[in-house]
Amino acid sequence: MASGWLLFAPLISALACLVWLRRKHDLAMFLSVGTCAISFAIAVALFVGAIPVPQPWNWISITGGVANLTVPIGWYVDNTTKMMLLVVTGVGLLVHIFSIGYMAHDEGRGRFFGELSLFMFSMLGIVVANNFVMMFIFWELVGVSSYLLIGFWFQKPAAAEAANKAFLCNRVGDFGFLMGILMYWSITGTVMFQLNAASASTLATQTSATLTTLGVLLFCGCVGKSAMVPLHVWLPDAMEGPTPVSALIHAATMVAAGVYMLVRIFPPVLSASVGAQEVIATVGGFTALFAALIATQQNDIKRILAYSTLSQLGYMVMAVGIAAPGAAMFHLTTHAFFKALLFLAAGSVIHALHEEQDIWNMGGLWKKIPITFATFALGTLALTGFPGFAGFFSKDEIILAAYEKFPCLYAIGLITAALTAFYMFRLVFVAFFGPARTEKAEHPHESPAVMTAPLVLLAILSVIGGWSILGIHSYIAGGHAAEGHQPGHSLTLGLSILAFAVGSLSAYFLYFNKKSDPIRISLFANKFYIDEIYLNGPVKFQQAIARILAWVDNWIVGGCLVRGTAFVSNLTGEALRLFQTGSLQAYAFLFSFGTILILYFTLLR
Amino acid sequence: MEITLNHYLAVSGLLFTLGLMGVILRRDLLVIYMSLEMMLNAANLTLVAFSRFNQHLDGQIMVFFTITVAAAEVAVGLALIVALYRVRQTTKVGDLTTLKF
Amino acid sequence: MLLIPLVGIGLILLKSPPKIVAIAAALLNFTFSLVALMQFNSQIAGVQLGLNIPWVHLPGLPEIRFHIGLDGINLPLLLLTTTVTLAAVSVVPNDIKRPREFFSYLLFMSLGAIGAFVSFDLFFLYIFHEFALIPTFLLIGIWGTQNRQFASMQLTLYLTLGSLVLLAGVLALVLALPVQLRSFDLLVLQRHLSQMPLNDFSQQTIVGFLLVGFGTLVSLFPLHSWAAPGYAAAPPSVAMMHAGVLKKFGLYGLIRIAVPLLPQGFDAWLPILLVCLLGNILYIGFVTLAQKELQTMLGFSSVMHMGYLFLGIAATNETSLSGVILLMVAHGLSAALLFGLAGEIQQRTGENRFAELGGLAKRAPFLATAFVIASMASIGLPGLANFPGELLIFFGGWHRFGLGIMALVLWGVVLGAVYQLRAVRKVFFGDLPARFESITDVTGTAQRGPYVLLIAALLFLGFFPSILLQVITPAVKLLLN
Repeated sequence: MASGWLLFAPLISALACLVWLRRKHDLAMFLSVGTCAISFAIAVALFVGAIPVPQPWNWISITGGVANLTVPIGWYVDNTTKMMLLVVTGVGLLVHIFSIGYMAHDEGRGRFFGELSLFMFSMLGIVVANNFVMMFIFWELVGVSSYLLIGFWFQKPAAAEAANKAFLCNRVGDFGFLMGILMYWSITGTVMFQLNAASASTLATQTSATLTTLGVLLFCGCVGKSAMVPLHVWLPDAMEGPTPVSALIHAATMVAAGVYMLVRIFPPVLSASVGAQEVIATVGGFTALFAALIATQQNDIKRILAYSTLSQLGYMVMAVGIAAPGAAMFHLTTHAFFKALLFLAAGSVIHALHEEQDIWNMGGLWKKIPITFATFALGTLALTGFPGFAGFFSKDEIILAAYEKFPCLYAIGLITAALTAFYMFRLVFVAFFGPARTEKAEHPHESPAVMTAPLVLLAILSVIGGWSILGIHSYIAGGHAAEGHQPGHSLTLGLSILAFAVGSLSAYFLYFNKKSDPIRISLFANKFYIDEIYLNGPVKFQQAIARILAWVDNWIVGGCLVRGTAFVSNLTGEALRLFQTGSLQAYAFLFSFGTILILYFTLLR
Repeated sequence: MEITLNHYLAVSGLLFTLGLMGVILRRDLLVIYMSLEMMLNAANLTLVAFSRFNQHLDGQIMVFFTITVAAAEVAVGLALIVALYRVRQTTKVGDLTTLKF
Repeated sequence: MLLIPLVGIGLILLKSPPKIVAIAAALLNFTFSLVALMQFNSQIAGVQLGLNIPWVHLPGLPEIRFHIGLDGINLPLLLLTTTVTLAAVSVVPNDIKRPREFFSYLLFMSLGAIGAFVSFDLFFLYIFHEFALIPTFLLIGIWGTQNRQFASMQLTLYLTLGSLVLLAGVLALVLALPVQLRSFDLLVLQRHLSQMPLNDFSQQTIVGFLLVGFGTLVSLFPLHSWAAPGYAAAPPSVAMMHAGVLKKFGLYGLIRIAVPLLPQGFDAWLPILLVCLLGNILYIGFVTLAQKELQTMLGFSSVMHMGYLFLGIAATNETSLSGVILLMVAHGLSAALLFGLAGEIQQRTGENRFAELGGLAKRAPFLATAFVIASMASIGLPGLANFPGELLIFFGGWHRFGLGIMALVLWGVVLGAVYQLRAVRKVFFGDLPARFESITDVTGTAQRGPYVLLIAALLFLGFFPSILLQVITPAVKLLLN
């Protein structure tokens, strides 16, 4: 039962903080960080195999009828799970610690830490889930905590809008995900990931169209949560939330849940359907390139990182699509390290400059906030795939996997790698080098140790995360660690180093020591006008339908039918009233006349 | 000429029709009231006639009831008419339209 | 249980402090329903803890018996009724005009609802529901806001006509049987009809009547026009009682009468019912999206959610029907919570238009938290009771109807999120208008109590739905066989 505290601890903290400790900030902070540490300790214990997993427990169980449904709350733990637990709790703990410094002066700290704990609870639930419904439960809870945290500064209209947008995009994705779950259940008769022999053969004998539909529907969940095109629009806006939140939720863990889900369902569902794999790979590859192009023209430090996250998530999803889930998990892990690092470092920059986020208002920061700069630079090198750093290994793994199956995606992978190097170094050169462009940038102050310590730890991980000595990759991939000797290995190695060089050097020549942006590509700067298209397309359309139907309801259904009936009844009443003269004698006359008529008809005919 | 049941019934029918005409056509409450009594008596006449010709007393008992009720009715009705006259200074039905919608 | 509200009404009329007596009566009933849950033996699927005594015998009609009891279907609804009654009575402001009448009527509603749910005799089932409707009209007509005359008039006409059609259906059902088998008792009827079902024509005709009758009471599209204006005009506690409890009576009736007694007739109406319930979910969903006032929006949203419940009934398997009962309870709690909170907002700001509200979370954090939780419950978020209910309905519905229809139904879930979050955003987030600078939060145990009670119930059932499901599912299975 000890391992159950992995989930209970954050839940208790969340409830306590949100119900009782909203005003007692320090206690809430202490509780939240403490429970996170407990979760981390349990994750470590699970990793080394010191404690068993808890017994499953039936949440809903309806059996013995035509539509049987049993939903247990139980754990499914394999190497992928353990690694993911370590990443989530480890990065989570560092972000919690960082938040102590970052949120030190905010009035709503108690609420913040409560919501953060709620997030940890739900995220860990996703990771350990052993069936679709349990995953969906925590999936939705993660969505809520993300909604709450994005909208943490709810007085800002932008933050409130962003929170709504995030929730709704996720809802659209979940719409497909839930249908996929229902379909999976109707085929196999269970919602468990682990199928028994009978269900597995039922699944395997489905037509390929059915399997593709199933795979794509389930993938919808990932599209929403991991912000793939076309539902990517919420992630950049989600940067309205506090920066530690962006680091933890919108870079390292939650958005990776979509990828984790795909890896989880890969053996029973996706591996059976080439069609679904193709869709997934295409969407992933397209997102990687698309987001990288947008990132080259953004000016907000957090938005650049957000688009970079999108692009890297695209890589991971693409990896699943080309049947390399091990590579996807590997990249997920290293990405969690360096992207959390980059966001936290960006948070440190923003903190140092008193909420300044535009990189063109920065400049020359490298010697004024050296620790932040050093860690940020290491993170950049890791992300852009500088040889020997974490991102180098994991990204190569994915590009290499595409080499044989999808030459087109192979090319996209390399181009995106070059673009990644370009936009990241653009960010570094503009923000940290050159002259200080504003008053604020002249006098930054380095963040306190409680903020820099997590940065340093993450920086170390970002550097060494990919080294085979640590064995992260072989641990996740299990027996498939031999992928390194595939054909095209050395070619890929050379090309990706070339991509890094091209990207970073062009960024150096274009952006080093510049006062303003030498390139203006409005298509990229405006994110391909996707937001505008959505606003004028589906959103307007839906609103128009709503307005028309409301009018119909009010005037046709409510007006003509309901009030119409009432009006006709009234009219009939008015007409009949003419007969009621009020004169007794007239009544008497009519009465006797009627009687005579009746007598006439009954007696004389 | 022997007087048969039909003669009685004819007289009673005439009386009833006269009364009904009075109720429908006259404009004065008092006269309407008297016409109403006439209709009642027409009915009484029928009952007595039937009773006489059928050699059965039920009809006559019925008439006693009718007369009693009519007496009570007259007491209430006349009292009402008098009260109405005191308030409105009229017993013409054309003037009494307060309840008309 | 039925006596307590009556005693309460008596005491109130005898000039004791009305609110305290009303709360005490509601609390006592709540305790009793919890005791009933404890004593209820989930191993026995049938009716228990009941009473069955003869009442009157009219010539030409079968004997009418006063037959009440609990089984797995009405026990959850009884709990719902007592919980919502307690909350509804407690949220009434202290300065309400003519408190004596107000509280008497509220308790009367509660009495009617409890009676209707526990009766196993068609006559009492009907009469108790009518009992509950009469005070509703008075409460809306006298204590309502806005255009209360029109709203209560419309509601009255709709609901009385609906129950008239319903009465016709019930009588037709009883009279369709051969004379010696006629009975008003549901269990007896079920026994007879399972042995020799009625012919298809009479089944279809009777279900038609029942569907229109009950459908009107539950605001099935296109018989929904009374609901939104009615709820918008009603005082909060009345909206809580009606949307939370009374409205469920129609669904309860369908489950009790149409589904088990007339299965073939019900199947024949299925296509039409499906169109109607999709109308509830999608058409009303869009209509809700366009509403500009909080209460009206909540009214439409409550109409929309009826679509899911109808879907569960239409699917007619034990998974979906268990889901229906669970969601009836959950929706009752969450709708009551939302209407109660909307009432607090209106009372504090004197405003219910989205365009004029905003930023209230800053001044009223408790109100905001409770409203967010209620909204999350309403859009079916895990951890709150609505989620397992909806989930079971979706699973059951998918089993019966497959991908096409379920895709349309599930789009409703997205629509629900859109309008509910928009409401949260407009009312609580963003800038606080200057004139609301001085509004106060909901403070103190007495004021917060009812909301905390409802939230706790929602959370509890969300985490442990099996508490109710273990009671519901056997009863539903019994019903379907």
